[in-house]
Amino acid sequence: MPVAFRENINRCYQCGKCSTGCPIAEAMDMLPHQVIHLLALGMEARVRPLNTPWLCAGCYTCAVRCPNDIDVTAVMGELREKAIAAGAPCPCPDVLAFHRNFLRDLKRRGRIHELRMMGEYNLLTRRPFRDAALASKMLLKGRLPLRAPRALRGFKRWVRKAGRL
Amino acid sequence: MKKATGLYPGCSLEGTSKAFRTSLRSVLRRLDAQCEPLRDWNCCGASSAHAMDHELYLALSARNLAQARDQGYEEIIAPCAACYHRLVCAEMELARHPETLAAVNARTGLNYGGGIAVLNMLDYFTDRVGLSAIGEQVRQPLKGLRVACYYGCLNSRIPHAAATSGPPDAPGGATRSEYPMSMDHIVAALGAQPLDWSYKTECCGASLFVTASSVSARLVGHILKDAVAAGADCISVACPMCQNNLDTKQDAIRAAFGIGRPMPVLFITQLMGLAFGVSAAELRIGDALVPFQWRVDKGGAAAEVTACPA
Repeated sequence: MPVAFRENINRCYQCGKCSTGCPIAEAMDMLPHQVIHLLALGMEARVRPLNTPWLCAGCYTCAVRCPNDIDVTAVMGELREKAIAAGAPCPCPDVLAFHRNFLRDLKRRGRIHELRMMGEYNLLTRRPFRDAALASKMLLKGRLPLRAPRALRGFKRWVRKAGRL
Repeated sequence: MKKATGLYPGCSLEGTSKAFRTSLRSVLRRLDAQCEPLRDWNCCGASSAHAMDHELYLALSARNLAQARDQGYEEIIAPCAACYHRLVCAEMELARHPETLAAVNARTGLNYGGGIAVLNMLDYFTDRVGLSAIGEQVRQPLKGLRVACYYGCLNSRIPHAAATSGPPDAPGGATRSEYPMSMDHIVAALGAQPLDWSYKTECCGASLFVTASSVSARLVGHILKDAVAAGADCISVACPMCQNNLDTKQDAIRAAFGIGRPMPVLFITQLMGLAFGVSAAELRIGDALVPFQWRVDKGGAAAEVTACPA
């Protein structure tokens, strides 16, 4: 029994437009239209180990070109959500670490503190000095404020009700 | 309800893309535009909330839209393309699915009833402010400056937009998503020369710039290469992430892809400011890592616009 997606993937007739337009296709284990086909056949387990949803940059080229109005980018998002909910091992741990850490920073104050968010990402992925030279240039230009943005009042309590993760 | 448009700045405009914020502020002031910053806005969740937690993304957007409504606005602009995309998509989803809106409200204690229009900043300039009003403010036409307008992904590609099957020029129509022109029209109004080129809506890799840098570097390399081939003096952007990805590691990417000359990456609002006679310092032209140098013809006497020292 195929798993339900917010997008109606059964409208897909395998034209392959999503894959021909995808800027990341050459780095993907399987092309977007093939992933959609497996999902429509109810074979989500075959998709789980693939890097395809995790490397999707979210550019929406597939989504606006789909002749059947399927937002393929949103399907990739939903696949990531489902994989996290199932506790499946992630084929792209850096991507997962980045997004997780981003959301953690967001939930602290309601706004992102870019310097801290990037620093923590480096620590989490065990490359503490990644882009250190670039970061120092940006600091000198005033593009990476040291001070965190002011926390929004009541946000921490509010955000706990807002999402699933 | 106020006549003014609300301005949702977003996190990047307070940090890595301060130059976008300050140049936008200068330009809006010169245009006498009725556009005021929202208070108490929260992060839109960017691609991370969208990538991992759909409910969180909808709630974050609903909170911002509710803030806008409570502060008396009917429409808002979000200059950051990523924020714009999140807000406009969430607004569309909440408007089309009242049961989703009700669920978000119930879960989060919000009372958002819909009715906030989310405008793209470029459309705001072309449709609300108007190209003639922009042209009237030009004090130093950017004559001879060849500009590759780079829209990236999120300014132009709105999935499920109402008019996808309608006329190509309508919002969401093929012209808008495949070969948008709004920024080109603005650049032309400044006296500069917008260029035809092939990469105006190709993806720069977004957060893959950090998490899968070799994938992103290839995308950025192609974009820079085509801008050079088109003979551009600079690339103009309307997205903090595009600016960041095209600008900050350009030396290494140019070396890897054999791209002969540096390509400055400016926000469209910085170009507008220069044409309006605003100083390079006020526009934070020097914030970009690739320096931008351009001679503006000031009625015979040439004045040099150069990057301020770091």
